[in-house]
Order: sequence, then structure tokens, then C-alpha cells
Amino acid sequence: MALDFIIRCEAVAKSYWRGTLEIPVLQGLDLEIPRGGYYALMGPSGSGKTTLLNLIAGIDRPTGGSIEVCGYDLNDLDDDQLAGWRSQHVGFIFQNYNLVPVLNAFENVELPLLLTRLSRRERREKVLEALALVNLTDRLENYPRQLSGGQEQRVAIARAIVTEPDILVADEPTGALDAKNAEEVMALLERLNSEVGKTILLVTHDPKAAHHARIQIHLEKGVLDRTVEVNR
Amino acid sequence: MRYIHLILRSLFRSRRRTILTVLFLAVSVFLVATLQSILLTLDAFANNPNSSNRIAVRHKVSLTNLLPLRYADWIRQQPEVEEVMALQWFGGIYQDPRNFFPNFAAEPEPIVRIFKEEIVEYSETQWRDFLRDRNGCIVGEALAKKYGWKVGDVIPMQGTIFPINPRLNLRLIYRSRRLTDEQAMYFHFKLVEEGVPFMQGRVGNLWVRAKHPDEVPRLIERIDRHFADAVEPTLSETENAFQLEFLKMMGNLATIIHAITGAVLVAILIVTANTMAMAIRERTTEVAVFRAMGFTGSRMLGILMAEGILLAIMGGMAGLGLAWLAAGGIRAALGSVIPWLTDFTIPVDTLLFCLHASMGLGILSTFIPAYRVVRRPIVEGLRAL
Ligand SMILES: Nc1ncnc2c1ncn2[C@@H]1O[C@H](COP(=O)(O)OP(=O)(O)OP(=O)(O)O)[C@@H](O)[C@H]1O
Ligand SMILES: [Mg+2]
Repeated sequence: MALDFIIRCEAVAKSYWRGTLEIPVLQGLDLEIPRGGYYALMGPSGSGKTTLLNLIAGIDRPTGGSIEVCGYDLNDLDDDQLAGWRSQHVGFIFQNYNLVPVLNAFENVELPLLLTRLSRRERREKVLEALALVNLTDRLENYPRQLSGGQEQRVAIARAIVTEPDILVADEPTGALDAKNAEEVMALLERLNSEVGKTILLVTHDPKAAHHARIQIHLEKGVLDRTVEVNR
Repeated sequence: MRYIHLILRSLFRSRRRTILTVLFLAVSVFLVATLQSILLTLDAFANNPNSSNRIAVRHKVSLTNLLPLRYADWIRQQPEVEEVMALQWFGGIYQDPRNFFPNFAAEPEPIVRIFKEEIVEYSETQWRDFLRDRNGCIVGEALAKKYGWKVGDVIPMQGTIFPINPRLNLRLIYRSRRLTDEQAMYFHFKLVEEGVPFMQGRVGNLWVRAKHPDEVPRLIERIDRHFADAVEPTLSETENAFQLEFLKMMGNLATIIHAITGAVLVAILIVTANTMAMAIRERTTEVAVFRAMGFTGSRMLGILMAEGILLAIMGGMAGLGLAWLAAGGIRAALGSVIPWLTDFTIPVDTLLFCLHASMGLGILSTFIPAYRVVRRPIVEGLRAL
């Protein structure tokens, strides 16, 4: 029985060059993540977690191997096609939230919908829906600087899910939060996975955060060296 | 247009910087618009299409040497000539030297035929009164209004070049198509000729009207050739050229104005380029976030360019608004001193030039920083914190 893999990495390699010196980061990495999976990517600093996440999210290109996500071989798409693909299939959650400071919560969440054909009213409905999911319907008019870090990250999560992407990528989403807010954000991601069925790829240092995932994968010296199923 | 909200918000991200830039642009554009308008106004004055039939004949040596009046007789016999008139700049003063307006002594009958494009509307009865009265004069309506003159008033004029002080009876007030043309006074040349011994049979200029503008160059050439070997040789030129000679007394205005315009445009470019470069550089991460969300490079470029162009246009419009307000002030303050500024406005040409220039500068100053930030790899932009 073939599992429905939404992410499929085959012999993925990525090197950086400092002058003529090649710095290999990923060296022939294989990874398959099934639809609806919740994976935590762990490993020491500099091991290439962010690099791998960026490759899978289609904002960087591998130097070797192939990456198939949501049925598309990313090597086959040019930059503009890749942008269109991201707008439909990927939601980004960053460590620093990266909200637009001059837009309020509602407008920030609406941003990715500007790329769709939706009317103003349809966009409004979707934004309210997303903000309801993160429990922030009472903060529509607030600007990022008027929100707490945890609230900012929840707005950012609403922005990431508003287009109903298949996968969510989150690079250290709790890195800038205190324990209580981190716990809240992690609970939210868990709910998005179990209730809405989003595939989530999470990069984290924090074992507590990683514990929310179903599967932990460890990156070491450019390859995955260990896969651990989380027992709950 | 779904991005207009985003663009406006981004533009006023740093309110003080944006407002200062807009103010700087406004002042610069105001300066350029006003100077260019003055230039165009003077130019229009010296290139009056109405005067394309007219030739000014003067002494070859200088504007102040006199010609024999009888030259008019020979010129009148030329087949291309419609009318000839003796015209003398009188340069008289009314009450106070600051009350400047052009006043001429002219052979009376031809005045309305020579200047038929300027002296458009008048009463035939008043015209006959003027011809009959040796001390009569005619003035434009704008001039009459300015000093509150009515037909029948006595206007005492004080000679400056000529030692006579004629008391003129206002016989006729004419109207023109443009206010600029209603600033002049004409009276009988005989007053000067008979009152001033050295003016006997002599005059400063002969004003000639050709039947057709095409014949003007040929006529100019023939007149000057005919009198070339006379004791008093002539120099004929189109009325426009003659006016220009007059205006040249103001120095090489055009060159100065164009130089200032150029310098100001360069300054605008530097300031907007700096503002936009700062505004865009501090958003490197934000641009990368937008692109990660699926905004293409060209869409981002468009959004950033729109911001720069909008900034420049806001400055340009504010500057034109200032210039428009100032034009009213210039008309009021200088129109009476410098007659060709009576109609002073910001011409449509200048308006369009300033709008295009600001838009062009907006594009020019935004493109390079916008292009650079958009071309940067997304992952680098995300890391640039
Ligand atoms: N643009 C680049 N040029 C050169 N080297 C790079 C570049 N980006 C990343 N690297 C190198 O690649 C390696 C992996 O980087 P990456 O950011 O993926 O690590 P990471 O696992 O996310 O680390 P951290 O836990 O600290 O975030 C590092 O050694 C880093 O120095
Ligand atoms: Mg990292």
C-alpha cells in the first residue's frame, strides 16, 4: 500500500560557496513526509535545518537531487511559477513573526489573499475565519506594535493559513516567545494538524516544542541520522 | 488597485521623512514651474503670432538714431505693403515714474490697421473724435481701469526723452483679446514733431504691415537694400525680433533659467533617490516575506515603483499648487510694472513638463534600489535582520 507522500526529497544536496571553497550543507538527503504529517526537524546549530526547510518551501533551490511537494517537482518550475505555487500550497511562519508594521492585524492576514481572485467580501470572510481559528477576532484593528509577541505570532499563523495551503513551514516559531506563549502557539499548531489536517514541518531547538510533533527527525552532518516517533 | 492601500501605508511608514521629502519636492517644483512660466510668457510675448505681418524699421546704427519720415513714402509704394506708420516710443511719465506703461506717439490714421489684432473693439465715433483732436489719445481698457480714466479725461504726461509735457484728452478706450495688449497708450505724432525741434521730419521707427506673412523676409531685405547707401541706412526686422531686442536688455534670462531648472532637477533626483533607497533598504526583510508568500519579483517591483512615483507626484502637485497661487501674486504685484506679466499664469506646457519631470524622477530614483532589493535571493532577505 503506497502512502500519500506530500513531500518527497531525493538525494537532495545543497552547498554554499565562499569564493572557490565549497561548503556542503546537505549531502544526498532523502525524506518523505505523508499528507497530514507533523514533523519536527531538529539538529545542532548550523546543521542545515533552515536550509532544508527553505528548499522544501520553494524559496531556495537545491544544488542537487529533486524535491517534490504537492505533486510538483520544484526543479521544473521557474521563479514566477514557483511564486505562484508557494501562494497556493505553502504557509510560512517565522521566528520574528515578520508582520508588516504599517498594516493592522486584519490587513496583515489579508495580504496573501490579494494574490487571489477573491472579492473584497470573500477576502473579509476568509480573514475573519482565520483570525477566529487563532482566537484573535477582537484584535482586528490592532497594529503589530499594539500586540504581544504571542498575539503577533498568532496573527502570523492566521496569515499563513488564510489561503488554505497544504503545508505549513515554521522555522523556530517559538524562538522569541516566553514559555507560556510558546506553549499556546504550539497547542495552536497541534490543533491545526489534528483538526484541520495541515501537514506541518517545524524546525526547533526546543525539545518541549518538538514534543508536540508526531515525528522528530534529526539532521546531522548533512543527512538525517535518526527518526523518532513521539509517544503521547 | 488592490495594492493602493498598502502603497499609501508604506509611503507614510516614516511620516517625517516622507513629509520632508514632499515639501522639498514641492518647493523645487514650485521654483522650476515659476521660472519656466516666466520664460514661456516672455517668449510668447516675443513670438506673438499676431505680429507675424509686421516689420519694425529703425536706424541701422542704434535704437536711438532717427530716420527721415519721408522713407515712409517709398516703403508705402512697395507692392507687398499694406500700411506704413511712423511710431515713436515717447517714454512719458504719468504722475509718478513708478506708473510705468508703454506710450507711443504715432501717425494716427494707420494705428488701428497696423495693430488690428490688438485693437479689436472700439467705438467708431470715439475713433473719429480721436482723429479730429490733435491732443487726443487712445488707451487700452486694462490701463484705463488701472488709473480710473474715462473718455473725456485729461491725462497730463511728462516727457522724459523729449522736452514736452503734453496734456492729452482721452478720446477712445479699446479692448483686446489679451490683457497684455490693453496696456498701451497712443497719441498724435504731430505733438512730438511740432513740439520738439530735432524731431522735425524724423521718427524713431516706421512700422510696416505686409499683406502676407510670407512676404515679410523679402520686404525686409528690399527695404534695407534700398536704403543701404543712404546717409541714414535702415535696419528692418520682424516685430518679434525687435521685441526680443528689447527683452534682451534683461540679460540672458533663458540660459540662467534653464541652468537653474537643470540644477534643481538634479537636486530632486538626489533627494528622492536617497529617500527611496532608505525606505526600500530598511524593508529588505519585508520584501523577502512578501515574495515567500508568493508575490512575484515583478509584482514587488511594481509596488515599490508605485510608491516612489506617488511620492514624486505628490511633491510635484504640491509644487504646482504653490506656483499657481504665486502666479496670482506675481500678476498682482508685477503685472503693472512689467506689462507682459499682466496675463502671467502657469502655462499648460509648464504644468505638463513639471508633472512629467517629477514622475520621471520618481521612476528614475526608485528603480535602482527597488530592482536591487527584488533581485536579492529570498533566503538572504529573510536572514537580513
Ligand atoms: N548564504 C549562505 N552562504 C554561505 N553559507 C551559508 C549560507 N546560508 C547558510 N550557510 C551555512 O550553511 C550551514 C547551515 O545553515 P542553516 O541556516 O541551514 O543552519 P541551521 O541548522 O538552521 O542553524 P540554526 O539552528 O543556527 O538556525 C551553516 O554552516 C551556515 O553557515
Ligand atoms: Mg536555522
